[in-house]
Amino acid sequence: MKLKHGLFGNTLIATGTLIAALNAQADTLKIGIAGPVTGPVAQYGDMQKIGAMMAIDRINAAGGINGMTLEGVIYDDACDPKQAVAVANRIVNDDIRHVIGHLCSSSTEPASDIYEEEGVMMITAASTSPGITEKGYQLIFRTIGLDNLQGTLAAEYIQRNIKPQRLAVIHDKQQYGEGLATTVRDLLAESGTDTVMFEGVTPGDKDFSALIAKLKRNNVDFVYYGGYHPELGLILRQSREKGLDTRFMGPEGVVNSDLIAIAGKAMEGVLATAPKSFDQSPENMALVEAFKERDEDPSGPFVFPAYTAIQVMTEAMGATGKTDPYDLADYLRANRFNTTIGEIGFDKKGDLTEPTFEIYTLHTDGSKTPVSQ
Amino acid sequence: MTETSLYVLQQLINGLTIGSTYALIAIGYTMVYGIIGMINFAHGEVYMIGTYTAFITIIGLFTMGVSSLPVVLLLALMTAIIISSTYGYAIERVAYRPLRGGPRLIPLITAIGMSIFLQNYIRLAQGSRDLAMPALISGGIEFGDPDVFEVSLSWMQLIIWGVTLASMTALALFISRSRLGRACRACAQDLKMANLLGIDTNRIIALTFVIGAALAAIAGVMLGLYYGTINPYIGFMAGLKAFTAAVLGGIGSIPGAMLGGLILGITEAMTAAFFPSEYKDVVAFSLLVLILLFRPTGLLGKPEVEKV
Repeated sequence: MKLKHGLFGNTLIATGTLIAALNAQADTLKIGIAGPVTGPVAQYGDMQKIGAMMAIDRINAAGGINGMTLEGVIYDDACDPKQAVAVANRIVNDDIRHVIGHLCSSSTEPASDIYEEEGVMMITAASTSPGITEKGYQLIFRTIGLDNLQGTLAAEYIQRNIKPQRLAVIHDKQQYGEGLATTVRDLLAESGTDTVMFEGVTPGDKDFSALIAKLKRNNVDFVYYGGYHPELGLILRQSREKGLDTRFMGPEGVVNSDLIAIAGKAMEGVLATAPKSFDQSPENMALVEAFKERDEDPSGPFVFPAYTAIQVMTEAMGATGKTDPYDLADYLRANRFNTTIGEIGFDKKGDLTEPTFEIYTLHTDGSKTPVSQ
Repeated sequence: MTETSLYVLQQLINGLTIGSTYALIAIGYTMVYGIIGMINFAHGEVYMIGTYTAFITIIGLFTMGVSSLPVVLLLALMTAIIISSTYGYAIERVAYRPLRGGPRLIPLITAIGMSIFLQNYIRLAQGSRDLAMPALISGGIEFGDPDVFEVSLSWMQLIIWGVTLASMTALALFISRSRLGRACRACAQDLKMANLLGIDTNRIIALTFVIGAALAAIAGVMLGLYYGTINPYIGFMAGLKAFTAAVLGGIGSIPGAMLGGLILGITEAMTAAFFPSEYKDVVAFSLLVLILLFRPTGLLGKPEVEKV
């Protein structure tokens, strides 16, 4: 125990010396990259790291920003809220004013309190919990969509492309599923499409014959399902067996290879909102190659959002000529950015103005094709 | 026929299907209660083991290249019955027989322990994810006016009715005609007296566990194929519903279990038909409370005579 303590102290001193030495060079701007390096979700932290580091290296290779060289400093919060607070305090003490992270919503939330108070800008590339940007903070941003944006996207798509005459919205009574289902129903009601049937099923239930008979009786021509794949899979399978051929749509929670195992042929053509695969978009091909050259995997969901976080931060620095977080925050809110995750803007809360989700048609062979909107 | 009556007919078909499987499982509760006056809470898990056995058999036969539908079905049914019956027998032998004669609460607690043990044992052995049964039997017949409402009756539903009817008839004949059946009835009337008259009551009790497990296995195979997925937790809810059915019909009474199962299934389907379907369990269990309040012995149960 004593030995451990001593070692830890030495590391701190060593890091401190290093930081002091680096601080002496005024032309280096340090950016904190905070997320899990250890622990069960370390691979997600790795996605954020490779994305952010790639952006930093490319900007440095192109001459840096405002004459400064960027330097990414990795901090490990192990996805533990307590450690996240400690990390946030260390970042403040290390005199770092710009942070990419944290990763887990439960860590990001307490850390963001410290950053806001101490005047540090934080952009998270992974935390999707709505609460993080609900506090009216100035310096907290994110480059990833919120879960409930899927509902908005689905409702818009249904309104514009499906135009159902008799829409049913089914959910599994859980926070995620019912939340999405309610969003879809309410948004569609506002735009004039009424839901003829809105009801919940019990998670874990296996018999949906009564529900299916009701869907048939109501002559439903489109179903939005808020929930996960086990129930949707069974509903699809049993619907097709009972001669109900209505098209279904679901959220990211149903996009899973188990849906195919459960529903088989019945899942062909199901629509679903899912996060965009940025490593598939043609504009990012050069970047994907660069990742591959480094032997890094660009397909993780947080790689490109992390890259984008650095991109927008440095773009704001370049345009304003400053590094002060408050100036940067104003610039981020006022402008639009052309990034690796598409053209984006930030709203007052610091969230993206457009969803990073896309609508896909799912196929029996496990592939998904984007739907033109 | 009008639209509403066709719709009610459809829901009746759905309710009858699920109800007949409840009835099959409920027999196990009611027979055991009828003879030793104990609730075998591990019975739902025996049903679950039946579905898993059928799943493994079907997948095994497919990989061996057997694709003849009747052969696959029959073998799945057979292995499920054999394995589940073995479990039923073993549970009685290991967990209940040594405790017989003790206070009533003790076997009830071991039963709950057994249920938790079996559930977790299957979860560890087979994983906790949903397994998808291959769709063996699809299609069916549709009737009614396509413009008004089309009633669909799938082959699987017809098979469930047929198999349930056959098993119930076999059981009724066995109980009323065979020597062992007569011994069962004697044990249900008075266990101690039957023993005095030379009936091997331990054997009869073991037999009721085996019969109950076999019927639960049949229900397991049918429902596994009908619904399409299985997981280690399905035994709990199915057991609870079947227990409700047994109490509804009058626990201890075999015709009562059949009737209770059908009533429960139809009630559920009708609730889901005319109210949001999330209320179907609420209504099903409220029905249980009401029956217990106004007719504590169930629909076909006889008031319990205090045994001296």
